[in-house]
Amino acid sequence: MVDWELVAFVALSAIEIVASILVVTNKRLVRAAFWLAITLVTIGGIYLLFRSEFVFLIQILVYAGTVPVLLLFGVMLTRRKIMDEATVEGS
Amino acid sequence: MSHGGESAPLVPNLFDVCKVLTLAILGLVDAILDGIGAAIPPLGPPLAGLSDFLLGNFVVTVVTWIIAMTVILLWATLFNLLTVMWLERKFYSRIQDRYGIMISIWSLPFWPFNRRDRPTHKGTGYLQNVADGLKLLQKENLTPATADAAMFHISPVLIASSTLMLLVALPWSSGFYIARLELGLLFVLAAFSLAPIGILIAGWSANNKYTLIGGLRAAAMLLAYEIPMILCAIALVFSTGSLNLFDIVEQQERPLIDFGLFAIPAWYAFGPQILGFLIFTVAMVAEMERIPFDIPEAEAELVEGWTTEYSGMRFGLLFGFKWLRMIAGAALIVTMYLGGWSGPVFTRLYVGNIPIPVFPEELYFLVKVWLLCLVFIWISWSVPRIRIDQILQIGWKRLVPYSLLAVLIGAGSRVVRP
Amino acid sequence: MPEFWVNMGPQHPMTHGLWNMRVKVDGETITDAEPEIGYLHRGYEKIMEVREFEKNVVLTDRLCYVSSITWSHVYCLAVGRMMGVEVPERGQWLRVVSLELQRVASHLMWLASYGPDLGLLTGLLWALRERELFLDLIQLMSGMRMNQNYPRIGGVRNDVPENFDAMCRRSIEHFLGKLKGYEKLFHESKIFLMRTQGVGKISAANAIDWGVTGPNLRACGLNVDLRRLDPYETYEEVDFEPQVWRGADGGDSYARFVCRFNELRESCGIILQAFEKMPKTGAYRTKAPRRAEGEGFARTEDSRGEALFYVVGDGDDRPYRVKIRSPVFSTMAATPILLRGNKLADVVAILGSVDVCVGEMDK
Repeated sequence: MVDWELVAFVALSAIEIVASILVVTNKRLVRAAFWLAITLVTIGGIYLLFRSEFVFLIQILVYAGTVPVLLLFGVMLTRRKIMDEATVEGS
Repeated sequence: MSHGGESAPLVPNLFDVCKVLTLAILGLVDAILDGIGAAIPPLGPPLAGLSDFLLGNFVVTVVTWIIAMTVILLWATLFNLLTVMWLERKFYSRIQDRYGIMISIWSLPFWPFNRRDRPTHKGTGYLQNVADGLKLLQKENLTPATADAAMFHISPVLIASSTLMLLVALPWSSGFYIARLELGLLFVLAAFSLAPIGILIAGWSANNKYTLIGGLRAAAMLLAYEIPMILCAIALVFSTGSLNLFDIVEQQERPLIDFGLFAIPAWYAFGPQILGFLIFTVAMVAEMERIPFDIPEAEAELVEGWTTEYSGMRFGLLFGFKWLRMIAGAALIVTMYLGGWSGPVFTRLYVGNIPIPVFPEELYFLVKVWLLCLVFIWISWSVPRIRIDQILQIGWKRLVPYSLLAVLIGAGSRVVRP
Repeated sequence: MPEFWVNMGPQHPMTHGLWNMRVKVDGETITDAEPEIGYLHRGYEKIMEVREFEKNVVLTDRLCYVSSITWSHVYCLAVGRMMGVEVPERGQWLRVVSLELQRVASHLMWLASYGPDLGLLTGLLWALRERELFLDLIQLMSGMRMNQNYPRIGGVRNDVPENFDAMCRRSIEHFLGKLKGYEKLFHESKIFLMRTQGVGKISAANAIDWGVTGPNLRACGLNVDLRRLDPYETYEEVDFEPQVWRGADGGDSYARFVCRFNELRESCGIILQAFEKMPKTGAYRTKAPRRAEGEGFARTEDSRGEALFYVVGDGDDRPYRVKIRSPVFSTMAATPILLRGNKLADVVAILGSVDVCVGEMDK
């Protein structure tokens, strides 16, 4: 029969690796923050596969809830050009 | 409870009820397949194999799960959301000395409700929210030309999904739940903490100064008020010793003071957790973005705040899920501090030989949640809104020290009365 | 984030009227402000040169449409002084009653719009409910709820119906009982005090320099009320107290709010006294000549401050020149001082307490 745990693990790891690559290569910082959130949540999912529910919840609460938000705060409060020009680039 | 008896749920186990429904549906499909197999002989064996597969464990489990999830979703959004929205609109209208929404069932355009001789605007108004939802569904979904389209479209999904995650861990009675999580309290708090990122991306992606300001304000406020919430939850865990929401409610069922004729139950709001209860409630009102904490979407200053550029059902999702978060927040407070679904069952009716409690747990839970929502609505519509820097001052300078004090009191109560 | 200009308007739900408030913000703090007005300019001073004297009352009603009688009254006063027309005593008392009724209605409209500015939507519906009482009284008196065309040069248009004083008394008693509810909603709300105290301060010297008048000036501690300083009609015979802020920390939004709120009680007192003191019968209007030559000048205490009309006639049956001075126009120039140093979220609270009416500002 199919080993569903292995399938889940492979799927989550694939999403996480792709997302983490997109975090560091994306030119738009807002999208990088979004992919960072995805990365952290899927890492938490892998913790859930290992039966550590507590670590999964703490990962969501502490990491995925606050780190991308802080990153976005940093981007949005220091960007110079967003207010003056009509473009949408977050870089 | 010595007098009325223990509390009893109307739905002893959601999955059992759903399984009965599943087996009924699959049995019907099986009968149809058998009928087709008998009518067309060459198709007999493959159809028999198909019906075996359909009645096998895998399909039954999957369909039961789907039905259970649908039931919980419809219960929360179709029944609870509509009712709480209706309660809010009627209640604040009466505070404002007017009737409120009054549309009646005779205004529906199809039979048997389209009678000409009945008044259409002297009813209860319950259908108004359905009408508003339909109105939002048929509106055009505009995307600003200079917006970041991918992020613009994905942020309502983020907010909606983090709100719906709450329904996984939130039980509506001791039998009406989806999952009995050991760490239920932490799960709900984690789901609440995922909201700021969706709001921030929504505010940014519309490429509008005002939505950006609104999104930043909303994220700052939500982050600031999560801290007292989590600290008060920690204070509560000192008394309960468990993060399981079912254990927390069970511990509140015992009587605090027994007067013989009636008893005051040992709700956590009556004990040393009273400070935690008050701080948690204030922080929850801020997490729900209600007046007095609704500066992120203050119409007076920033039109609609971070939701300005959303139209159609996207706006409807964001708007409606604000109420769903209110219901979930009130449900959490009721579970943690106000005894959850416990309440005396005075008698039971017997249908066949199935005992049906007259005052089931679901009823107590709903009544408590709706009353708490009414208190929130009452506060909302009686006070002005607080400015964002004053909100942050209250959060950091007042609520955090008080919640630390609540943690100390919680730990102390554990030492004094273990 | 660097400083940038934010446009609050011309379409903004809470700036009450068609004008644009540009503020320069540094983060959340305001560093400069620049009001852009004129969106509602209708060319009053020119139009009034083309209409006969009496027909201009219809126009002056619409200068500030929330407070119509006060504006038509100051025009009739100016033209009356130019023509040398003497208003009979009952006419003067009727003018006083109509002015004070209109003042209460205008202040209640301000209160109704100030609540939602701060997020208190219940205030809107309660104040409008009370305003209905006074609009009914004004309708009984003059036939219309707004833009009544009631004052005339030399008096008023018509007399009041029988037992109008009993009706006024009943409405006013009901209203004064309701004021306690308003005080609970506004004055005793900690959040309201947090939003309005210390916000939008202007010193008394600055207020005088920039031409701020009315309740805005009385909130800075100066006892300037034209009904006492430069009395007109029969205000000398009426006993009332100009609401001046006593205390050290005046000039902020809360002081303006309290001064304007307390004027509601004073105006109700004036109306009741007027009914006792006015002659029960008599003429209410003197016929005014068609043509006039000369100049007439009148200033009155409008709901928002000092309203001033200067009319010049050259012997024709229409004015040669009309000059209107609006209190809100001068106060608008002081908005940089009012707004500087406050937060962006306070703009609506401050401008609401100043009570802007764009109709009279733009003329």
